[in-house]
Amino acid sequence: MLEHVISSTILSGIMIFNVINLAALHTWLERKQSAVMQDRIGANRAHIGPFRLLGLFHPLADAIKMFFKEDFVPPSGHRVLHTLAPFLSMVFALITFAAIPFGDVLRIGDMEIGLQPANLNIGVLYILAMLSMVVYGVVLAGYSSNNNYAFLGGLRASAQMISYEVTLGLTIMGLVMIYGTLNLQEMIRWQGRLLFGFLPAWGVFMQPLGFLLFLAAGIAETKRIPYDIPEAESEIIGYFTEYSGMKFGMYFFTDYVETILLACMSTALFFGGWQVPFLRSGGFHWGGTLVLGLPHLLVTLMQIGSFTAKVLAFCWFFMLIRWTLPRFRYDQLMKVGWKMMLPLSLANLLATAVILVMVGN
Amino acid sequence: MPVTTKVVKQPNMSFMVRIYFPAIFQGLALTGWHFFRNLTLHILHKFDLFKDVPAAVTYQYPEEKRPLAPRLRSRHRLTKRSNGSPRCVACMMCETVCPAHCIYIVADEHPDPNIEKRPKRFDIDLGICVYCGFCVEACPEDAIRMDTQILDIAAYSREGMYLTMDDLLNPENHGAIVLRDPKRPQPASQ
Amino acid sequence: MPTLTIDGKKITVADGTTVLQACEKLKIDVPRYCYHPGLSIAGNCRICMVEIEKAPKPAISCQTLSTEGMVVRTDTEQVKQVRSHILEFLLVNHPLDCPVCDQAGECYLQDYYMKFGLYDPKFNENKVKKQKKAFPIGPTIMLDQERCILCSRCVRFTDEITKSHEFGIVNRGDHSEVVVSKEFVNPYSGNVADICPVGALTDRDFRFKCRVWYLENSPSVCPGCSRGCSIEIHHNDRKSHRVEPKRVMRLKPRFNEEINKWWICDEGRYNYKFIDDNRILLVKGAEDWPSAVKTLASKLKNLAALSPQSAAFLLSPQQSNEELFLAEQIFAQLFDRSRLFLVRPNALGYQDAFLIKADKNPNTAGARALGFSYAENIVDLLSGEAEKGKLKALYIFGQDIVSLFGDDARKLLKQLEFVVYQGSNRNETAPLCSMTLPAAVYAEQEGTFTNCDGILQRFTPAFAPLPEAREGIQILHDLAVKLGIKCPGPKAREIFARMAEKAHAFKGMNFDRLGRMAQEKAALC
Repeated sequence: MLEHVISSTILSGIMIFNVINLAALHTWLERKQSAVMQDRIGANRAHIGPFRLLGLFHPLADAIKMFFKEDFVPPSGHRVLHTLAPFLSMVFALITFAAIPFGDVLRIGDMEIGLQPANLNIGVLYILAMLSMVVYGVVLAGYSSNNNYAFLGGLRASAQMISYEVTLGLTIMGLVMIYGTLNLQEMIRWQGRLLFGFLPAWGVFMQPLGFLLFLAAGIAETKRIPYDIPEAESEIIGYFTEYSGMKFGMYFFTDYVETILLACMSTALFFGGWQVPFLRSGGFHWGGTLVLGLPHLLVTLMQIGSFTAKVLAFCWFFMLIRWTLPRFRYDQLMKVGWKMMLPLSLANLLATAVILVMVGN
Repeated sequence: MPVTTKVVKQPNMSFMVRIYFPAIFQGLALTGWHFFRNLTLHILHKFDLFKDVPAAVTYQYPEEKRPLAPRLRSRHRLTKRSNGSPRCVACMMCETVCPAHCIYIVADEHPDPNIEKRPKRFDIDLGICVYCGFCVEACPEDAIRMDTQILDIAAYSREGMYLTMDDLLNPENHGAIVLRDPKRPQPASQ
Repeated sequence: MPTLTIDGKKITVADGTTVLQACEKLKIDVPRYCYHPGLSIAGNCRICMVEIEKAPKPAISCQTLSTEGMVVRTDTEQVKQVRSHILEFLLVNHPLDCPVCDQAGECYLQDYYMKFGLYDPKFNENKVKKQKKAFPIGPTIMLDQERCILCSRCVRFTDEITKSHEFGIVNRGDHSEVVVSKEFVNPYSGNVADICPVGALTDRDFRFKCRVWYLENSPSVCPGCSRGCSIEIHHNDRKSHRVEPKRVMRLKPRFNEEINKWWICDEGRYNYKFIDDNRILLVKGAEDWPSAVKTLASKLKNLAALSPQSAAFLLSPQQSNEELFLAEQIFAQLFDRSRLFLVRPNALGYQDAFLIKADKNPNTAGARALGFSYAENIVDLLSGEAEKGKLKALYIFGQDIVSLFGDDARKLLKQLEFVVYQGSNRNETAPLCSMTLPAAVYAEQEGTFTNCDGILQRFTPAFAPLPEAREGIQILHDLAVKLGIKCPGPKAREIFARMAEKAHAFKGMNFDRLGRMAQEKAALC
């Protein structure tokens, strides 16, 4: 029992450490990637002595700035809720990672450690539930600011998130039907199979339409362009208008954490999680025979590396989308959500069910 | 007035446009191409390769200045006579024509009896100036010009934006200014 | 009484009227340089040429007398050409230094060039240069011979008006120039700068101070002596606070047939610096205006209850009729009427037979008409009372009694319980008083002055008082309200209406009909 607690704690620590650092790096990535995409150089001025490190000190400078800015609560706002809201957003975004597996089982001696902070048998439901809780932070932010614009922004955000959660859930349902489990670790293990003997049985190949819908709904869930109507800082101001300093920073941060979460979910659900094609415990296999034998530790590291690489690739891809597409108008956003994506995901679900019955497992 | 109506025709969008996805991928391909091209070039530049193909089109501002049009209206300066005194005769045409009322001149008797007037004070409050260039147009003596190409004017206080005659006569004292075009007429001291 | 036709309009004029004056009556603009209504006619500038029927060629209108049946045309092509050519001749040697010329903006060469000139210059030769550009010819006037067009107005002014004969024109042809025989020191010297139609004679005091197109023009009355000349206050409202915050730039005479004609003396002309300099800026002896008025009212009430002799009021002939009347209305109700003394704030000065009067106060006659007369040895009188304990408080309206009476006054001020000083400028008396009220100067308020000949003149504010200063009548009215005394005001018009009812000297007068504010501006030229 004690071992379990210790290993879970360490795993959680690793997870949170990585996620938070990656989120901080996202501010750098956001600047640099957009710059490279737009033929610019990007932020490169922050320096310590002569070292500029490609502008890597900018997140640091940002953090220092955020901490030292005035923490402003509107005089007519609700002080407690105003303070609570960003924490709610942040906490629910972070604890979602508990269910994300980043590797298979690590064996040290007799001990078997599942590389996942908490091995939940309803991991998918847990993630969906926690994602829904993030809405509270947003709504409370709008409400407690006592600012009409912020309030409307909060309402927009919650409407959007709830609308797209439906699609998100329905696309995942297709996968659940195929994999036959709600346990994320089990889902990833299932994706270790091969289709037709050579194609990895990743979710993206099983559910291509589902993947696209999941991606779109996921981006809407993270409130990033083209779905950033809740903030839309250049036109209609959003729910964290009345936030300053680190509280504003936490909303900012939550967005990035959610992006990483979406990347993790996409990886786990559709891209085989930590799976490396043809790599199973013991080494690479081809057609049921062992081609290259590898020690367990190396295999585990490769799997963790595979997961990390896929997540980073998704992060890059989301950034690419964010700096390519224009923002939806609010009516378009609702129309796309309810009139296109919801019917499509239902059709996808129906088709999956029909095929499953026809194939008969 | 009779009500007039204008019929605006909605563009007839084809199916491919309406499903939106091809456009998304087109856009992603374009930005992605730029990303990888520039990233590769950035890395190659680190190894001193392909230096003549720029990876970024931006100017690294404080070190690198954008070339400016010679007729651009930039910070003012007062021209000098051959003996270094200001050409200005304090006729106050610029002060009169200034729409922002940012020029303040106090006239004085010139020590030379053959010259009547000279400015005792000639101040421009750049915090008020709208850079319209009327002062240059109005000047009968070509005493004020806006060709210093100094654009980076910033100050910590309103007083910092206030230029005295000394500042205006010696614009080079304020910030390093690089004149990019050697063919441009140099600040006059005729 | 000849009747003549000018540009098709018939007009009957008095005998001896020139054609130019007849044109003026018809409001036909005929250019002129040498002609000045206040001077004799010289007829040497030739710009006022008009066409007269049956005359062989155009004639100068300023010297041609109107005759019966004369038919004059000022608008024919020939007249226009003649004017333009004469202007070209006048400008042959005139330097093109308008940008540095103080006259620019009010220069008749500029005006007439734009109106009647606009020719293509045919002059190729060099302009005649003089040895010196501009040089002072006296304490007030600067002469620039290059700019002179030899209209001889200045010569005639010193010959006919001041009879001091300083100016003359010497040499011939291209070499003629205006010269002064000696240093130009004259109590009316400033007028030659006014009458000079070009920038040859300029005012040293105004030199380079301000371009004339910045100036606002407000009519007023000179407070310099009991003559009460009509003046214009030229003030600059545009100049930024960053440069000297002076408002009044110069004073100019305003034509007034009955008083000063076209002239004023130098003493009055340069008597404007006190408007902007050395002013009392803040209320002293109280937090702000309301509390000052409150304190003052309660003090006066207590004193009045004590004895109607316990306070004295030193009224000044610098105050307007309205202020004096209001002071009488208020203080004579609380105290004895005999406690209001009229005290001359300055000594008698220089006077001459023309404009300058010895009494340097603008409203002595007005104060007399309201029943005040000068109190002699006022400080001795009050000191005696103060020593006996009879006198407790003093209210001074602008007199610098310390400078006037020396140590006696200082002693008196020390003996008294409560001294109020209401005035516009700082002086030696104000700091010794227990309360100082900043008052507006004449240029900041409205009112009337009665001059030495009994002519009542109204003056209007040229600009608002300094931030803390208040009009004298406003201060007195506020005080009356606090004291619970009914009195007219606070506007001069209301006070004047009451004064016209009550004061014998002002019976039946009407504020709106007063003064020459509405009178057409006669040519200052």
